[in-house]
Amino acid sequence: MMYSEAILDYANSKRFRGRLEDATAVEEGKNISCGDEIILYLKVEDGVVKDTRFEGIGCVISQASASLMIERIIGEKLKNVISIIEEAEKMAKGGSFDEKKLGNITIMSDVKNYPARVKCFLLSWRTLDQVIRKLSQS
Amino acid sequence: MLSTRLYEDFPTLKLKINGKRLVYLDSAASSLKPKRVVEKLKDFYYTSYSNVHRAVHTLASQATVELEESREKFANFLGVSPEEIVFTSGTTMSINLVVVSLLRSGFLKEDDLVLVSLLEHHANFVPWLRLSKFHGYKVDYIKPSGRFGTLELDDLLKFRKARPKVVAITGLSNVTGQRLPVEELRNVFPDSIIVLDGAQLVPHERVKPEEIGVDFLVFSLHKMLGPTGVGVLYGRREFLEQMEPFLYGGEMIDRVTLENVTFNELPYKFEAGTPNIAGIVASKEALIYLEEMGFEEIRRRTRKLTELAVDGLKQIDGVEIYGPLDERQQGIVSFNVKGIHPHDVAHILDQEFGVAVRSGHHCAQPLIELLKKQSTLVEFPNSTCRASFYIYNTEDDVETFVEGVKKIKEWFTR
Ligand SMILES: Cc1ncc(COP(=O)(O)O)c(C=O)c1O
Repeated sequence: MMYSEAILDYANSKRFRGRLEDATAVEEGKNISCGDEIILYLKVEDGVVKDTRFEGIGCVISQASASLMIERIIGEKLKNVISIIEEAEKMAKGGSFDEKKLGNITIMSDVKNYPARVKCFLLSWRTLDQVIRKLSQS
Repeated sequence: MLSTRLYEDFPTLKLKINGKRLVYLDSAASSLKPKRVVEKLKDFYYTSYSNVHRAVHTLASQATVELEESREKFANFLGVSPEEIVFTSGTTMSINLVVVSLLRSGFLKEDDLVLVSLLEHHANFVPWLRLSKFHGYKVDYIKPSGRFGTLELDDLLKFRKARPKVVAITGLSNVTGQRLPVEELRNVFPDSIIVLDGAQLVPHERVKPEEIGVDFLVFSLHKMLGPTGVGVLYGRREFLEQMEPFLYGGEMIDRVTLENVTFNELPYKFEAGTPNIAGIVASKEALIYLEEMGFEEIRRRTRKLTELAVDGLKQIDGVEIYGPLDERQQGIVSFNVKGIHPHDVAHILDQEFGVAVRSGHHCAQPLIELLKKQSTLVEFPNSTCRASFYIYNTEDDVETFVEGVKKIKEWFTR
């Protein structure tokens, strides 16, 4: 069920919301078909994600996904983040994935059954992927 | 109550969605299909199908006759002559054809003004805007000043002195459901080329382009019980005769030499390539079905459902409804529920109530921007929920839908 208590709690949580004043990277993401937008703030030091926040409005799926994602990646090395993103994409698209790598994020594994919502789920992940790519280029 | 006839005619209505009776409220995106249309497609493919116009054999003749019967049927419906009916793949293709052909034949030139309303679907917005970048004509926008995106007659009158070369406007908004005062267009813009987007209007109303004095009228059959991939472009003969074709290729040609080409007569000049033959043939059945029901009855029915839906939603605290909310609203109700994203509303309506509605920006981002500015919601989601009604919907459907929205609201705000 896409609207479980746990998912709603993550969607409504204020824990990871807002600007991050000392961010070292900022990225905007958009879902063209529904107009949802997200701004992701990342503070990366010595190849480790020290802190992350997000701003924006969106549906329960996109908001819960962003909160779960941030909770999972804070404290992770960038190279681990890349593999977490890969696993999350696989999960959303119904492929087999490494549950251990995703942890709590698996509470959203049902999203694979709703093709129209996969892009809601992936909004924050795609945005994160953009930031990481830019960071690894520079 | 839905008559048994309608229930029999639209097998899709018998579907169960997550164990619930299907309530299909997404006809503005595309309508359901009656048996009559689907069976015509099948029969035609099995018994009369071949390419049209080119060959002399029996099947080719049958297919050609059927296709031309369809053209005649649409000509009669609009009260115009068959040469003025061009079959395209849909509204989008028709509008692109009109813009490009007007440019190629010099009807639209650098420094001319094109007026477009802010209510337009991207299909009647982007072609005008994009091609202005390459051809130097100007584009200006008619801004709706009424309640949440409602276009008032005064908004048109403001441009009376602007003398636009082209006015491109919708007959019925696919977001707010507002039926526009299309009868006034010719009075307000006596010398302009008027292009009417009938994608939403024509399924609800018999439109006579000559009577209202528009030069082009375009619509899609898939929104009025017909197959996908079929569009009708009505163009006034004087224009079609002088206009350069949009697509070049087979069938639209008269004579080809190494130096030059001349074009086929109307309307074939605008029908390059092999069309959606079976689709066009089966479209006639869709029109027959609608005519048997009668457009007065269709209008009355969908208007009644619209009114019920608006009244029902008004009772729910925190629901913001867009558009005029009066007799101008036809078949479409767009809304948001405070604090709940439209995707969530639509998803739960489907999962828990079997109700299919659309959520998103409905390919009308400029209008959504305007709604956002006027919205009283703390967080406007850049999109809306849209329930749209057609001939097979009932008062029961509206009740299920309104009840669903009410429960979702309670559930989220516990
Ligand atoms: C007002 C309006 N114009 C144009 C279109 C585009 O029609 P089609 O997708 O059939 O080309 C639509 C369809 O959503 C519409 O509602």
